[in-house]
Amino acid sequence: MATERKRKKSAPPLCIEGEMSIYRARELKQTLHAPLEKTATIEVDLSAVTELDTAGLQLLLLAKRSAQARQGDLRIVAHSPAVGEVFALLQLDGHFGVSAPASSDTPQRH
Amino acid sequence: MNASAQVDDKRPGVPRSATAAEAQAADEQSQYLTFMLGGEQFAIGILGIKEIIEYAGLTEVPMMPECIRGVINMRGAVVPVLDLSARFGRKVTAITKRTCIIIVEIESDGERHDMGVIVDAVNAVLEIPLSEIEPAPAFGAKIRTDFIAGMGKVNGKFVILLNVDQVLSPDEISALAQVGANAQASAGVPGPT
Amino acid sequence: MELDQALQTFIAESREQLEDMENALLAVGREEEDESEKVNAIFRAAHTIKGSSGLFGLDHVVAFTHVVESVLDRVRDGEILLVDDLVSLLLSCRDHMGMLIDAVANEGADAGGGIAEQGAPLVARLRGYLDAPQSADPPAAAAPAAAPAGDAAAEDPADDEPAGADRWHISLRFGPNVLRDGMDPLSFLRYLGRLGAITGIATLSDAMPDAAEMDPEACYLGFEIAFESDADKAAIESVFEFVRDDCSIRILPPHSRVSEYVRLIRELPEETARLGEMLVRCGTVTAGELEAALDTQTVQSAQPSEAPRQPIGAILVEQGSVQPAVVEAALARQKQVNELKGQESRSIRIDADKLDQLINQVGELIIAGASVNLIAQRAHNVELQERASTLSSLVESVRDSALQLRMVRIGATFSRFQRVVHDAAREIGKDIRLAVSGEDTELDKTVVEKIADPITHLVRNAIDHGIEPAEQRAASGKPAQGTVRLNAYHDSGSIVIEVSDDGGGLKRDRILAKAIERGLVEPGRSLADGEILDLVFEPGFSTAEAVTSLSGRGVGMDVVKRNIAALRGSVSIASEEGVGTTVTVRLPLTLAIIDGFQVEIGKTAFVVPLDMIEECVELSAEPGHDYTNLRGQVLPFIRLRDLFKVEGKPARRENIVVLKYAGQKAGLVVDTLVGEFQTVIKPMGKLFGQVRCISGSTILGSGDVALILDVPSLVQQAIQQGAPQVSSKQAAVAASAC
Repeated sequence: MATERKRKKSAPPLCIEGEMSIYRARELKQTLHAPLEKTATIEVDLSAVTELDTAGLQLLLLAKRSAQARQGDLRIVAHSPAVGEVFALLQLDGHFGVSAPASSDTPQRH
Repeated sequence: MNASAQVDDKRPGVPRSATAAEAQAADEQSQYLTFMLGGEQFAIGILGIKEIIEYAGLTEVPMMPECIRGVINMRGAVVPVLDLSARFGRKVTAITKRTCIIIVEIESDGERHDMGVIVDAVNAVLEIPLSEIEPAPAFGAKIRTDFIAGMGKVNGKFVILLNVDQVLSPDEISALAQVGANAQASAGVPGPT
Repeated sequence: MELDQALQTFIAESREQLEDMENALLAVGREEEDESEKVNAIFRAAHTIKGSSGLFGLDHVVAFTHVVESVLDRVRDGEILLVDDLVSLLLSCRDHMGMLIDAVANEGADAGGGIAEQGAPLVARLRGYLDAPQSADPPAAAAPAAAPAGDAAAEDPADDEPAGADRWHISLRFGPNVLRDGMDPLSFLRYLGRLGAITGIATLSDAMPDAAEMDPEACYLGFEIAFESDADKAAIESVFEFVRDDCSIRILPPHSRVSEYVRLIRELPEETARLGEMLVRCGTVTAGELEAALDTQTVQSAQPSEAPRQPIGAILVEQGSVQPAVVEAALARQKQVNELKGQESRSIRIDADKLDQLINQVGELIIAGASVNLIAQRAHNVELQERASTLSSLVESVRDSALQLRMVRIGATFSRFQRVVHDAAREIGKDIRLAVSGEDTELDKTVVEKIADPITHLVRNAIDHGIEPAEQRAASGKPAQGTVRLNAYHDSGSIVIEVSDDGGGLKRDRILAKAIERGLVEPGRSLADGEILDLVFEPGFSTAEAVTSLSGRGVGMDVVKRNIAALRGSVSIASEEGVGTTVTVRLPLTLAIIDGFQVEIGKTAFVVPLDMIEECVELSAEPGHDYTNLRGQVLPFIRLRDLFKVEGKPARRENIVVLKYAGQKAGLVVDTLVGEFQTVIKPMGKLFGQVRCISGSTILGSGDVALILDVPSLVQQAIQQGAPQVSSKQAAVAASAC
């Protein structure tokens, strides 16, 4: 636990800005996987993401799976409403360990 | 213990062909290890022999009949060692430079056991075809007839081929051990009753 | 998880359920506990076994258990009273179920036809309880729903039962080019939301390869969706019109038959079990419905070679992703396990052989470590010695942890005796209760497995001969109900198990008379109290005047003693006439590894189990006697050199190792004290089965074999050697350790 906290301090979360879409998919795959070379667990800040499409979502799922395969995890420390909407639509809040935005009118089930 | 000679290395891992394997099997069946014991030559079929080692590192087990000399460490397993001469009712083998322990695998009650036997010296592996083997004589060999598998003719002389399973029968020897222990108990050392 | 492995889990869990059921049944009538909770526990066990058996297509188990469950259901509703007779009947049913499960364990899932027939009389008796008018059985309970795949003709009535969901089920698999073609599957889902409500959705990324091969522009996702809507199928299909060519879409209307879902699962590319889980997760079908359908098919198609399907239950448990609300009772047990895992992930099942292998390897490690230590000492290299000693202490803790893995509480073994007492007491018409204490005492699993039989024998003896008939008890002012007591505790490296009763006790004059009659004791010889009692362990000794079907005190006591001795343990008996009898069994905690103390006589090394050594002192014998003065107490001793007839002269300064065992002390005279070390017990083999005073062997760091001394028998020898008897009072005064 202590080491994790230490790491939190030393390595700031990976911040992704703008749209996470098919147009940036190749670049984003690199961005998400690069830190996984060094550490098994990465933290991602999605609060500046303006749009998330299937391609972007896939990459998040992939990165989480890669991290878990190495006994680590991908943690989303913050996310924008655009991301929250997609997670709520697909009921993936639990999978990514984020709480659904309260404003969302999409039906949520747990 | 370091000077160990693998005897069963000749056993083929995978037979080259059925006939070759059969020939090999027949070969092995007629191969015997000859050794000296009290000035007399004996032989054991090589199939049951696992190893021949120098006499060393033996731990005696107290309150055992004379024919059980003790135990040795065989790569982590504790293996009993028998004095063959004592087993034949003769005198206990004296240890010399040439004394060896032959490790034999025997089968008893469906289980395999390793056992060591002390011999004065190991001679050679000989081929004795079935035609050269005579049945055991009814008497005259000076050892129990059920210990004798047959009499092999080597250079015009007879060599006693031992019936290892009988000679080293754990049932029989442990019965001896019990008698020994009881005798000990009655001879002054009261055992638990 | 292999199907086979799942079956093993089922067998193990069913046995646990049966144990719970038995315990609950035996607890019926005890006032201190809540009756309805017990009934619930019994019902739950039967119900779970029935459900799980259904999953594996064990129809004969289901059929029998169903009848049991029906009766229990009515008991639960208060329509039938759980009277003594019914408890006995249910116990017999439990046994029958145990036999059925055993048959499955031994012969596989197809087994049990013959045994099943033996259940007929029980079923007939159970039916007697059900004769009263009652509502029809729920159809699903009769047998797991049979749902042949679409191509099969036969259909079970249960198949017509619509699945629980009143929703559409939509299954989507998007083609790889969807994204490149400028379409976003998410937008179709958003659009779908306008036609109704997505009540459940599961995202499948199984088709997505590992990062290295994953093309970020290809689509790999699929979705399973439960959809609540008034729209018709055409309207729903139209949502996906634009991707129709690049996407496989399957839509099932609400209330589809289970078989439809099964067919859907079959047609989709992912693993059956994984898909089933997804369907369950999004709430379309319940796990129970699906299980029943899938599994019955396995049985019907009778083609085990066909791609092995894993039971979903097992997968659900593994993945910890069950939605508890939708899982049917058939999976109740698995769910329970799952929740437990989710919360604490406290325990895992391990093959006992694997544990044994680990212990063996740790044993080798210890021997290798001892050898390193020896070399380090010889090399006079301080640094090496330090490291070697660090290594040794690590190995020591690894050993302890490894052994700890095999430690189990004795409680489970003890609780089995509730049944033994219940049955045996009924059989001979005595009112007897079993009191258990020390259930938390732990001991090696290998020891536990071997003590059940001897303990059973002792308990039966206590019931049969220990506890007097009620009239006799009343006459001597005892409570009518007799008590048999089981107790366990740890004591100096041993576990002690006591079996006691508050019965009539052993009659010494009768034992003595019998022993003389049998020629075990010469007439006129005076024996100490303990010696008289010990006579009951002599082969063929019996004082029972009427030998019942249970036992005869004495018959088999020699067997008990022999079995316990084979475990390096001992057994003793204490009894007070009119008050009761206590049989005390002492066993080593483990059979594999001990802490040893090495001593030498001449050049021969021997090992004494450390926990049986009280202290070590220099020899100062009273001339001509084999006893010494140990701080004012008489300590009898044995000269090991004489006992073992070791050649050579004794060392100038000999030492006494003070041994203690079961409250008695004795000395052992040796030449040299070498020191403590860990030692792995190596079996000596059949040849040395009869050796006294030696309990095994071990391999020293030097590679030589050392013999391990059998302290109990040495102490006994010392005591019997005619040296003054060590009274228990003297022995109780503990001396300081060396």
